[in-house]
Amino acid sequence: MPKKGRSGSKKPFIILGILVILALFLVGFASGPLGQKIFGDIGLPGWLSVPQPRPELPAEVIFHLFGLPITNSVIATWLTIIVLVGFSYAVSRRVRLIPRRWQALLEFILGALLDFCQRVAGEHNGRRFFPMVATIFLFVAFNAWLSLLPGFGSILVDTHEGEVHLLRAANTDINTPLAVALMSFLSVAFFGFRSLGPAYIKKFVNIGQFLSGLRHLSRGRLGAGLNGLFLGVINLFIGLVEALSELVRIVSFTLRLFGNMTAGEILLLMATFLVPFLFALPFYWLELLVGFVQALIFGGLTLIFLTVAVTSHEHEEEAA
Amino acid sequence: MEGLASLGISLPTLLAQLVNFVLLFALLYLFAYKPIMKMLDERSRKVKESLEQTEYIKEQAAHAEEEAKRRIEAASKEGQEVIARAVRTGEEVRQQSQQEARQEAESLIIRARLEIQRERDEAIDELRQEVADLTILAAGKVIDRSLDKEAHRQLIDKTLEESTTLRKS
Repeated sequence: MPKKGRSGSKKPFIILGILVILALFLVGFASGPLGQKIFGDIGLPGWLSVPQPRPELPAEVIFHLFGLPITNSVIATWLTIIVLVGFSYAVSRRVRLIPRRWQALLEFILGALLDFCQRVAGEHNGRRFFPMVATIFLFVAFNAWLSLLPGFGSILVDTHEGEVHLLRAANTDINTPLAVALMSFLSVAFFGFRSLGPAYIKKFVNIGQFLSGLRHLSRGRLGAGLNGLFLGVINLFIGLVEALSELVRIVSFTLRLFGNMTAGEILLLMATFLVPFLFALPFYWLELLVGFVQALIFGGLTLIFLTVAVTSHEHEEEAA
Repeated sequence: MEGLASLGISLPTLLAQLVNFVLLFALLYLFAYKPIMKMLDERSRKVKESLEQTEYIKEQAAHAEEEAKRRIEAASKEGQEVIARAVRTGEEVRQQSQQEARQEAESLIIRARLEIQRERDEAIDELRQEVADLTILAAGKVIDRSLDKEAHRQLIDKTLEESTTLRKS
C-alpha cells in the first residue's frame, strides 16, 4: 500500500517541477529585453535583468608580472594547466597495473587519443606524434569546457581599466589559438625535418632544377637549358605555394578556433541577456560539443599535417 | 598593425601563451604521457605474456594427458602380461602337482605290490611249512613202518630241497 501512496505522490512533484520551470522561464522572459519590449515594464525587480554584454576582442590586462601584462585569458590558461597537470599528477603518482577509477579515466582518454594517432599516422609515427596531438586536444577541449563552468565568467576584479572579468576562455583571446597554431606549425616542421632531413626544406625551396637549367645554358645547350629553367621556375613556384599554404594553415587554425570560441561565448552571453533563465541551457550543450569538435579538428589536422610532412615526396616524384 | 591590435594580437600575451603551451606540453609529457604509456605498454606486455603462458600451460596439459594415457596403456599391457604369466605358471604348477601325484600313486601301488608279494611269500612259506609238516605226518601215517628213520630224514630233506627250488623260481 505504501508503494501506491509513494507513486501517487510523485505526480504532483512532477507537475510542481514543470510549473517552477515554466515560471522561471516566464519571469526570465518577462525580465529580459524581449519580454520588456512585448509586455512593457511590469515592475519586476531590476537585479533580475542581465546587462547587455559588450564583448571586447582584445583580452583585458589584469596585472603586470615583471613588466609583462598578464591578461585574464592567460590566467584562464593557467587554470587549465593546473587542472590538467594536477589531475595527471594525482593519477600518475601511483600508477597501478590494475587501474583505479581515475587512472582508468586518464588511460581511457589518452588511450583513445593514442589509438586515433596510430590509426591516422601508423603504428610508429602515431606514437611519435601522440604527445603533441594529445596536448593540443586536451588544451583546446579543457579551455572550452572549463570556461563553461558556472562562475567562470562572473568573477570581476578592479583594475585600472575598470571592472573586468578575472577569467576569460583562453581561446577567445586570439593570442592563444595563434600560439597553439604556431606550436602545431613548429612541430610539423620539426618532425618533417627530422624524418626527411634537407629533403623537407627542398619541398619549399626547390632550386635544384633551376640551377641545373642555368648550368646547361652556360654550357651552350640551349634546348635543355631553357627546358630546365622552365621546370625550375615551376618548381620554385610550387615551393612558394607550399610555403604559403603552410603559413595559411597557421592563420586558418588560429581564426577557426578563435572564431568558434568567441562566437560561442557571445552566443551564451546573448542568450543569457535575452532570457536570463533556462534559455541558455541548450546553448551550453552546444558549446560542450563545439569545444570537443574544435579540439578534435585542431588535433586531428595537426596530426594529418604531421603525417603528410614525414611522408617522403621522393616516391611520388619518381612515380610521376 | 592597427587592425591586428583591434583583433587583440599582442606580442607579450602571445609569448606568454607560447610559454604556457610548452609548459603544459612538458608537464603533461612528464606526468601523463610517459607514465601512462609505460603502464599501457606494460599491461599489454603482461596480457600478451599471460596469454602466451596460458597457451603454454594448455600445451603442457595436453602433453601430460597424452603421457598419462600412454602410461595407462603401458600399465594395462603390462598387467595383462603379468596375468598371462601367472596363468601359465599356474598351469605349470598344476601339471607338476598332477605328475607328482601320479608318481606318488604309482610308488604307492608298487609298494603295495611288494607288500602283497611279501605277504604272499610269507603265506606260501607258512603254507609250505604246514604242507611239509602235514606231508610228513601223512606220509608217516601212510607208510608208517615202511620207512625207517634214515629214509625219513632223506625224504624230508629232499622235499625241502625241492620246495626251496620252487620257491626260488
